[in-house]
Amino acid sequence: MNKPQGASMYESAKKIYPREISGRFDRLSKIATVTLLGLFYIVPWLQWDERQAVLFDLPARKFYLVGLTLWPQDFPYLALLLIIAALSLFFFTALAGRLFCGFACPQTVWTEAFIWMEQLTEGTRSQRMKLDKAPWSLTKFRKKASKQILWITFAMWTGFTFVGYFTEIRQLGLDILAFSVGGWTLFWGLFYGFATYGNAGYMREQVCKYMCPYARFQSAMFDKDTLIISYDEKRGEPRGGRKRSVDHKEAGLGDCIDCTLCVQVCPTGIDIREGLQYECIACAACIDACDSIMDKMNYPRGLVRYTTEHSLHHESTRVIRPRTLIYATLLTILVGGLFTAMATRTPVILDVIRDRNSLYRELPNDIIENIYTLKVINQSNDPRSFSLSVAGLEGISLDGVDDEVSVDGGGVLSLPVRVRAERDKAIGIHSIDFVITATDDAGVSVTEDSRFLGPTP
Amino acid sequence: MISEEYRGAKQWSRDKQAVFTVIWISFLVAAVGTMVFFALFDPVDLSGIFDPDLDVSRDAGYAAGFFFFWVLCAVCSGLTAFLVRTAPKRDAKHREQ
Repeated sequence: MNKPQGASMYESAKKIYPREISGRFDRLSKIATVTLLGLFYIVPWLQWDERQAVLFDLPARKFYLVGLTLWPQDFPYLALLLIIAALSLFFFTALAGRLFCGFACPQTVWTEAFIWMEQLTEGTRSQRMKLDKAPWSLTKFRKKASKQILWITFAMWTGFTFVGYFTEIRQLGLDILAFSVGGWTLFWGLFYGFATYGNAGYMREQVCKYMCPYARFQSAMFDKDTLIISYDEKRGEPRGGRKRSVDHKEAGLGDCIDCTLCVQVCPTGIDIREGLQYECIACAACIDACDSIMDKMNYPRGLVRYTTEHSLHHESTRVIRPRTLIYATLLTILVGGLFTAMATRTPVILDVIRDRNSLYRELPNDIIENIYTLKVINQSNDPRSFSLSVAGLEGISLDGVDDEVSVDGGGVLSLPVRVRAERDKAIGIHSIDFVITATDDAGVSVTEDSRFLGPTP
Repeated sequence: MISEEYRGAKQWSRDKQAVFTVIWISFLVAAVGTMVFFALFDPVDLSGIFDPDLDVSRDAGYAAGFFFFWVLCAVCSGLTAFLVRTAPKRDAKHREQ
């Protein structure tokens, strides 16, 4: 992999004007952009059971994912999900290179959308370059202003949608219309909107080149069987211009006509013919560009193509290899684990907090009493009744609670309880268990341990 | 060879690279940190420990936590970047040779 040349670091700033191109991969990337952005903008508007289907309700500390309600106590699932996401990235990188960068990364997807708006208002690549060089005029101002209006509107809508994942988006919309949005909500909306505007409108490929950690360490997951976009040097060189009528092989030329189209379409401004470079986000625009030229010249397609280092050197490519096997096995185990854990999740949580103010109380008739606060969280969406019991010490009993307690759907019940035991059995420290069981389903049961303190012997 | 017009993408200066990288990476790490931290602790409970009279809303608590993490991470990686970039080029071993 080529390293950036030290000298070029100080080169004067040059803006990249990616040229528009159509082709197979461009279509794929447009489909990916529309699908991903469509999902992002539509999902918060979906309803489920009279509430927002996907809502990360931070003020209430509850996550709603369609039919599922997640609590802070479910954090391990989130952690597991993040690990799975990271591992999937490794797996797909080993298999297919920077597929994520070129088609699914939010940076790429939003940049695509912003470039599309730029083309709509300022025209094609050459028109944009001319416009930027031209002195300020009414036309230039009109074009630039309409671009900014489109960009800013889109960015603000993005910010609004983002916040809509954390507060109910329908209510939020009404609040905005009534100018009564909360301060923090407004702040985060503007923050995300501005970040989108800056990242997708101005920073673009700089984010990939200088700020993205994945771009730097993805090479660690690459090997000679990884799918990369590459220029077939053997076939293309020596490059050079020629007339279509000329038999280039007789003239001693390779298939590359040096039209530089592959460089013009590159969103990161590299020349793919110089080999694999860390700036390459594998968007495949250069493949589309080169294929269109090959078609015109009546040469076979694929001078620039998806390939592997092995196949470039006419060796066979192995998809199944230790690296992919290890990633795949780990992924299968983790995904399986996550699903098992989710499927067997008991929808009730019991927290036991011992009263901090007193160790124990001595009651008449040689009874020792400890005080606890039980927190019962009903994670299901319907109200439910539970029975409580305590065990772990002979003759131990609960006092001060009903046999059955009812908790609202998604509700938390704070329950002060007194636990009593006979003095001669309660000497020292004992480990006890609180058990809560749903009255309608004995399978829904949790046990939580705590300590019962008695007088010292 | 390709013409100069197409060659060489816009390059950031080393300082600009360092500043934006520090801001961005500390932002990412702070986002993860905030998520983990507030999954374990409720800002309302925390404000009670800090000062019983303090009445902090969850929204404000999350925001304060996020910015605290962001500044903390930015200071950490900023100092690291600064020290790495301003370190003396030659060490003692080098001079002996």
